[in-house]
Amino acid sequence: MNRRDFIWSLTGATLGTIVPGPSGRRRQAGAAGGAEPDLVPTATGASGRVVVVGGGMAGATVAKYLRRWGGADVRVTLVEPHASYQSCILSNGVLDGSRSLRALTFEYDVLRQRHGVKVVQDRAVDVDPVARRVTTEGGRRLRYDRLVMAAGIAFDVIPGLESAAARARVPHAWKAGAQTLALRDQLRAMPAGGVVVVTIPPAPYRCPPGPYERACVLADYVKHHKPGARVVVLDANPGIVAEKENFTRAFGVTHAGVVEYHAGVTIGEIDATTLTVHSSVGAIAADVINAIPPQRAAALVAETGLTNAGPWAGVDVLSYESTIVPDIHVIGDASATTQPKAGHIANSEAKVCADAITRLLRGDGVDPAPMTNSSCYTPITAGTASWLSVVFVYDPVTRTMKPVGGAPTESRRASAEQYEEMLEWYENLMADTFA
Amino acid sequence: MRRIQLAIAAFGATALLGWLAPSGGQTASAPHPARLLASNCFQCHGPDGRSVSGIDSLAGKPAAELYEELLEMRNRPASRAIMNVHAQGYTKAQLRAIADYFSRQRP
Repeated sequence: MNRRDFIWSLTGATLGTIVPGPSGRRRQAGAAGGAEPDLVPTATGASGRVVVVGGGMAGATVAKYLRRWGGADVRVTLVEPHASYQSCILSNGVLDGSRSLRALTFEYDVLRQRHGVKVVQDRAVDVDPVARRVTTEGGRRLRYDRLVMAAGIAFDVIPGLESAAARARVPHAWKAGAQTLALRDQLRAMPAGGVVVVTIPPAPYRCPPGPYERACVLADYVKHHKPGARVVVLDANPGIVAEKENFTRAFGVTHAGVVEYHAGVTIGEIDATTLTVHSSVGAIAADVINAIPPQRAAALVAETGLTNAGPWAGVDVLSYESTIVPDIHVIGDASATTQPKAGHIANSEAKVCADAITRLLRGDGVDPAPMTNSSCYTPITAGTASWLSVVFVYDPVTRTMKPVGGAPTESRRASAEQYEEMLEWYENLMADTFA
Repeated sequence: MRRIQLAIAAFGATALLGWLAPSGGQTASAPHPARLLASNCFQCHGPDGRSVSGIDSLAGKPAAELYEELLEMRNRPASRAIMNVHAQGYTKAQLRAIADYFSRQRP
């Protein structure tokens, strides 16, 4: 992997940052001719069929590393309905115009060509854990020895937003893509002095610092483009869930007078016609509502009978194998662990899972002491960022991943230097996941 | 942790020399005992420690140099730099094994 493997594109007139473009330069190794790609060892002693459901951060990483570590005899099929992946990470940049959606888009070609992953563009609709078979919408039947569910999250419906029309009027923008563009367009169309309401669901939800980052980016945007506008944050949680020091400072100092933060708020209903949020702190009339709904594991995870920790799937964090159904592993946001639901750690969980499956397919035991880590940079303004970081170590007593030091650490402040680091972190994270 | 230390001791220096960097359609050889641990660094430092951005590459750096740097960061928990936070998470033996892993990757 080196710089030449990417088509590089300049993006963001104000930032002028370099990011890997959406399509990797094609390397014609393997795939078509039958020979294995260079990066895949010919034999490791591991052999079997693995189906991966979902091509997000967790799914792409596990598919890649199963091939890199498991070798040619570990045949990996990735089932993903979308032709490409659009990252939630840095997608707030689309809202303030600093980043294009295209710069957040990653193709599956590199997994296919460099790592010999069979990528099937289709939707998994059924899992038969007895026959060990996945059925897709397109009628494919995929047999597996091990199945990795990296299916992500589903959204609950907020009262008032039952219709598709209502949901289009009140975007969550919590999966990057059309929703992100819809929210961006609404912000652009908003009058000066307008009101943006952001609602935050109860934890756990995808990306703990994300909603607060969203509020900061929106506040910075309206300050510059919609003078007099306010961002009202209605948080279902009793307080800021992640990076409390930095976001408290951001709301109270950096964005003072723009962000109005309320904790412990219950949302009764959202009226998508009048754009009114009915909540425990009153009825708030808005110009734009960004309602982030409560979340649960993707429907197929529940339908397969994998959920046993509220709406999430319990797993053994030594291998991410389901605690209910054998031979099925659940990684990323759909699983219930002590780790956050976020892209960087999904990559980390995926590697533990790939290593464990490789060992299991070789007839060995799994690593008894895996470690993972989470690092997350969050923009506070269009030119500064903070970070949150934690290393997890396996605790054999509780059989959970324990944060070293007891809790995540956050940066002392937001800085321009960290903003640059954020862009560099993103490039390497995405290269590790998709290239 | 103990298992990794044992694994390294068992392999010994000469066996370590026999490991190939994971490239070029290699055939079966025992994976480096710190492969999974070291993969925790890839998210920020690039796949196999080969950075595609301004963050430092780790691949091919001398093990002693990497270990010294990691140890220095581990000894300064109060600085609250992001790498110091990460270095706290690992034992010295783990850091030594991680440094060894990256020193064996092609730059």
